[in-house]
Amino acid sequence: MTPQVPAVLAELAQLLMRNAVPGVPDAERASALGLSAMLLGIAAETWDGAAHNLVQENRALRTLLALTGEDGDLHLSILRAENERLRGLLIDAQIAAETAGDTARQDAIWAELLASTERRLLSVSLV
Amino acid sequence: MAHALEPGLASYIAKRMPDAGDIAVSALERISGGASRETYRFRLDWREGGEARSRKLILRRDPPASLINTERRVEFEAYRAFAGSTVPVPEMLWLEEGSEALGHPFFIAEELTGYQAAPQMLFAGGYDAVLPKVADRKWTILGEIAKADAIALGLDQWMPPPALDACASRELAHWEAILDSDEAEPLPIARAAIRWLKANPPPPAQKLSVVHGDYRTGNFLYDAAGGIHGVLDWEMAHLGDPLEDLGWGFNPVWQFGRGLEGGLLVRDQAIAIWERASGLRADPAALHWWTLFNCVKGQAIWVGSARAFIDGGNREPIMVYPAWWLLNAQDRAILKVMGRL
Repeated sequence: MTPQVPAVLAELAQLLMRNAVPGVPDAERASALGLSAMLLGIAAETWDGAAHNLVQENRALRTLLALTGEDGDLHLSILRAENERLRGLLIDAQIAAETAGDTARQDAIWAELLASTERRLLSVSLV
Repeated sequence: MAHALEPGLASYIAKRMPDAGDIAVSALERISGGASRETYRFRLDWREGGEARSRKLILRRDPPASLINTERRVEFEAYRAFAGSTVPVPEMLWLEEGSEALGHPFFIAEELTGYQAAPQMLFAGGYDAVLPKVADRKWTILGEIAKADAIALGLDQWMPPPALDACASRELAHWEAILDSDEAEPLPIARAAIRWLKANPPPPAQKLSVVHGDYRTGNFLYDAAGGIHGVLDWEMAHLGDPLEDLGWGFNPVWQFGRGLEGGLLVRDQAIAIWERASGLRADPAALHWWTLFNCVKGQAIWVGSARAFIDGGNREPIMVYPAWWLLNAQDRAILKVMGRL
């Protein structure tokens, strides 16, 4: 997710500390805590599957792009950087397929893009 | 405890109300939401002509960084242009474009009280009987905005009027540039949509209209009888193709998971209401273009909120929520409109 979860959690920690002291207007405290709760809920939902989904997606993208390699470092920041590199290459591949009129290749790329939204799907998603 | 903004606000208003005395600002509190402007409600008390008076007002102040960067004068003038018309809007009082008074530019407006705006409340069950009326009012008012004469309203002073055949390309270039500058990760689905939009441009606009820019369920005030009493959040208002606003409301994220446009009505009925009120026609192919365009625009806005947080310009949770909640949903909306989901 963007912005990345650790940065958001760090900010929420500071926000909760600010709202723990007296004198914060009730409406502002309620707004801050309500939004914080919703963000914490989303972070909790994505936590367990985050590394798994990135590894799975990076593997699918390498296959689609005919690249070799494996994710050896399972830090989320490293997996994510690799994912961004591969998704950038996917854009180039899709443009090339459109230019060449290669509909089979285009369909394969669209199928992966659809799968990527399924991996990222939240229980609170509007679509 | 008095809010820190109250003294400065009272001092500012005193200069704008030279015939008033004993001016006091109280009960100032921030209203939740509002990622593009900080919005506060407050009570103003004063004495004038020997009488004590009071009024509930709204302060809309620019934040340090926003998910969209717009001129507050454009928003102020859009509201003012529709005052007293069939398009219900709150009365605008004062616009301050300097930062001396309250740290950032702001405007002050009437508060319309006794109404609701939240889609969650509208769809919680208590309003089910009046949803058809809300829907009729929603698309009737949008049709009236589309029908309005933007030049006669004087809005071309504040909003550059594009040529009829340049409305689409101008808007697409604008939001693509925002994606270019703000995206923090590759967005293959949005980029594919942009390529399709460029390859399949819509026909010229049938007229030059005022485009609200964010006309959706959630940005109007409704009551228990199904009436709509205020259209809010005009900060993205501009002149352009009237189908743009219709397409924004048809962005699938604004169905709120209910399978109805705006969570309210099937598409054909919404279009029929809009066509009747506007006297215009919603060409299906052109409307499809504008609906997909608005999915891209939405993605640019959510990406912009993430960027404001990442760069440190605004670290409030309201900047994170649209990005976390909507980035993937907007991708899925693009797939849906493109027939891929």
